[in-house]
Amino acid sequence: MAERARTRQFLDPAVVARLGTLELRARTIVEGFLSGLHRSPFKGFSVEFAEYRQYMPGDDLATIDWKVYARSDRYYVKKFEEETNLDCHVLIDISASMAYGSRGLSKFEYGACLAASLAYLMSRQRDAVGLTAFDDHIVTTIPASTRPGHLRNLLVALDQLPVGRQTNVSKPLHQLADSLTKRGMVIVISDLLDDPASVARGLKHFQYRGTEVLVFHVLDPDELEFPFERLTRFEDLETGEEIMAAPGVVREHYLKQINALVETYRRELGAVGIDYQLLRTSEPLEMALLAYLSTRARAF
Amino acid sequence: MPSFLAPWFLAGAAAAAVPLVLHLLRRHPEQRVRFAAVRLLKEAPVEHAAHRRLRELLLLALRVAAIVLLAVAFARPFFRSAGAAAATGTTVVALDTSYSMSSRGTLAAGRRLAREAITNAAASDRVAVVTFADTADAVVPPTTDRAAALAAIERTAPGYGATRYRAGLLAASRLVGRGPGKIVIVTDLQETGWDAGEQSLLPESTAVAIADVGVPPANVAVTSVRQSGPDIVATIRSTAAKPRDVHVRLTIDNGAAVEKAVSLPSNDSVDVTFASARGKEAAVEVDDRDGFQADNVRFVVLDQPTRGSIAIVTANGDLDRDAFFVRHALAAGGNARIVVGLSTSAVAAQSASELATHPAIVLLATRGLERHAREGLAQYVKQGGGLVLAASADIDAQVVADVLGPGVMLQLTAPAELPQGSTASRTLAATDLRHPLFRALGEGASLGLVKFPTIARLAGAGCQTLARFSTGETGVMECTAGDGRALVFGSDLNNRWNDFPQHATFVPFLQEAVRYVGRGSGAGEFLIASVPGDVPKKPGFAAVKGADGTTRRVAVNVDPRESDGTRLSADEFMSAVTHLKTAGAIEARLDAAQQEEGQRLWQYAIVAAIAALAVEGVLAARTA
Repeated sequence: MAERARTRQFLDPAVVARLGTLELRARTIVEGFLSGLHRSPFKGFSVEFAEYRQYMPGDDLATIDWKVYARSDRYYVKKFEEETNLDCHVLIDISASMAYGSRGLSKFEYGACLAASLAYLMSRQRDAVGLTAFDDHIVTTIPASTRPGHLRNLLVALDQLPVGRQTNVSKPLHQLADSLTKRGMVIVISDLLDDPASVARGLKHFQYRGTEVLVFHVLDPDELEFPFERLTRFEDLETGEEIMAAPGVVREHYLKQINALVETYRRELGAVGIDYQLLRTSEPLEMALLAYLSTRARAF
Repeated sequence: MPSFLAPWFLAGAAAAAVPLVLHLLRRHPEQRVRFAAVRLLKEAPVEHAAHRRLRELLLLALRVAAIVLLAVAFARPFFRSAGAAAATGTTVVALDTSYSMSSRGTLAAGRRLAREAITNAAASDRVAVVTFADTADAVVPPTTDRAAALAAIERTAPGYGATRYRAGLLAASRLVGRGPGKIVIVTDLQETGWDAGEQSLLPESTAVAIADVGVPPANVAVTSVRQSGPDIVATIRSTAAKPRDVHVRLTIDNGAAVEKAVSLPSNDSVDVTFASARGKEAAVEVDDRDGFQADNVRFVVLDQPTRGSIAIVTANGDLDRDAFFVRHALAAGGNARIVVGLSTSAVAAQSASELATHPAIVLLATRGLERHAREGLAQYVKQGGGLVLAASADIDAQVVADVLGPGVMLQLTAPAELPQGSTASRTLAATDLRHPLFRALGEGASLGLVKFPTIARLAGAGCQTLARFSTGETGVMECTAGDGRALVFGSDLNNRWNDFPQHATFVPFLQEAVRYVGRGSGAGEFLIASVPGDVPKKPGFAAVKGADGTTRRVAVNVDPRESDGTRLSADEFMSAVTHLKTAGAIEARLDAAQQEEGQRLWQYAIVAAIAALAVEGVLAARTA
């Protein structure tokens, strides 16, 4: 009972309820081995009608659409797309900076909830979902799978993830990109407090392999708003470095820096077709995920 | 090391603990936040923790320094300009060598006690020896050679001077200097030894111990010899507990002696008259082998051409109108004095030698004293004359200051009356009843019956206050000018500002005042303490050159008061010592105040404190 409760702590029933019948479809063509939601590069006999093409000698006569012939007195063949499932890899940042949380919920916990929710969604879609935890290197990897009970394994793994060390987002991204054999989907959940250029390079590495990348940029409201008033001694969560700052003096500079960081990611990743979504940990996850999936579905 | 005029203000430096405590309590006044995006703050104008700590320590140091500097400033620091205090202590043995120590066995006891004081001095102390009577001599300056000190003690012998503790203590305290020290005064505790002499002070840190030689044997003394018409009258005093018979001898011009047998009652005096004694110089001697030796003989010069009259100076010379009470007071008593009245204008007509014939001048008015007269009076006082001055409406303070010379800055302000309706009365009280001025009054308590509704405010740099009014103002002041002295009285003596002449104390007070200022300067006699410089300090006859160049024969006698065997108790002696220490402390504080005033280090401390606060303010604002 306790184990079941523990495994489900990141899978909030409220989130599950909100997800409803929402789907997360890959925008790119993915290579799955099961029949699924996502377009397959392979054409063939499938439920899904894709397009008409003029008959050419040698085509299968069974594919001629006679209704079109009756209407147009011309021979056209139907082309069908075979839909399949995908391999989805959820990459969650467990570096020390993800432990920050100003309202009782750390970025890691929020990210873990997001990862669990997405894993559930993918599992429901019969997609294979795996989990990779990283800080400045890959800490834990659970390969994508559709086996029964795999979701539970993912949730157990999320619960047991340790607090990491320093951030180096790009290095594990390159490592994972090199390890992927099939085109699929990679979902990165991180605070991306790293060099944007190197992070972008790491993410683009997945694209070179034909993998769709989604980035959920998780930040705490204090990191976005810098609401501190009193003289504050800031201690870096990862390096331990201490800096004394008068918030009134540094706020403007800091906000400029954080907004520039977010904007850089939005611009750089958007320019290469990587879906980028900024998430505040103060925003209810179900609402944020619902909004994102709805928007994505409309754009699909 | 600096000294401080007001060291108690240094306690304010304890307030420096406040910023220290606040600093410790609020060591981390800021909130601590473990933040993920610190890297985004690095380029902002932030302060690294190490810099912050340094700044905080600097702020703390500035605040503490400002408080400490303020406390130091209020404590008024200064550096003593005199030489550094001696590291080791000094024990000074002050040995009484007045003639009262000449009685049988007394000097031997004194030498023994002095030797013991030298031997018992702390091993690390230097030792010194001072002998004193009217004046003091440092016979052995501070030395580690105790044998030399002991040898010097063996060579001491009583002289002819009278006991003056102030002189001995002053000389001894000078040898002690500013370091730790002890004075052992070896004496017979003569009560007359505290008669006002040279003003002396004792440092508070100097310990004083008494080595009492003990009660002297009974003494018989010739206390006075005077000419009464053709006769010579000698006063013989005995301090013996029982009546005794003595022989008194009169010698005139070194001729054959005339001897008389006299029965002396116990502790009393008798007058012995030698009839029809004619000659120039006479000596009266009494046989007293066991008592003080120096007072066994007294000398007198007979038939002086001018005996010396007390001059009373008024505006117009009319004593009955302007000096009625003073004239009759001075003329009263067994020792009748010849009193002459001088107008202020007549003073100018007197030559220096004519003025010098007056043993004392009572100045009751200065109106009309023009420059020549003032110069004459100034010269008179400077050459040893005595002046008694009573404040009144006829006295001009500036004229008095001219007479007493530049060394005395006298302020004699307008009459101060008691507030109207005031039921309190202003009386006079002596500051030291042992002063000769008040000894004739007995306990002096009778002065308290005299009321002084109107007084003049007296202030004189270099003058000694002898009595104060009950309202705090100076009542009687003694000022020295050259070889002479003046007594300044803060009210009038003619029954206008007070009712003093109506009291019994008026006559002895005035007579003692005139006698005190004019002692030793009476024509024909000098006491040992006041002989002119070229006259040997030894009883007998001597030749003295007057101001006009003429030479006259004078008698030199010991101070008769030393013959009085009345002793002080040790407590009474130490009480007087405490008084000197108090005066010494006051003098030291005045001296310190003058040195501090000259250096004004407090100003630098204030400036430094302000600078520290300014820097602190700037630094604190930058980190706010």
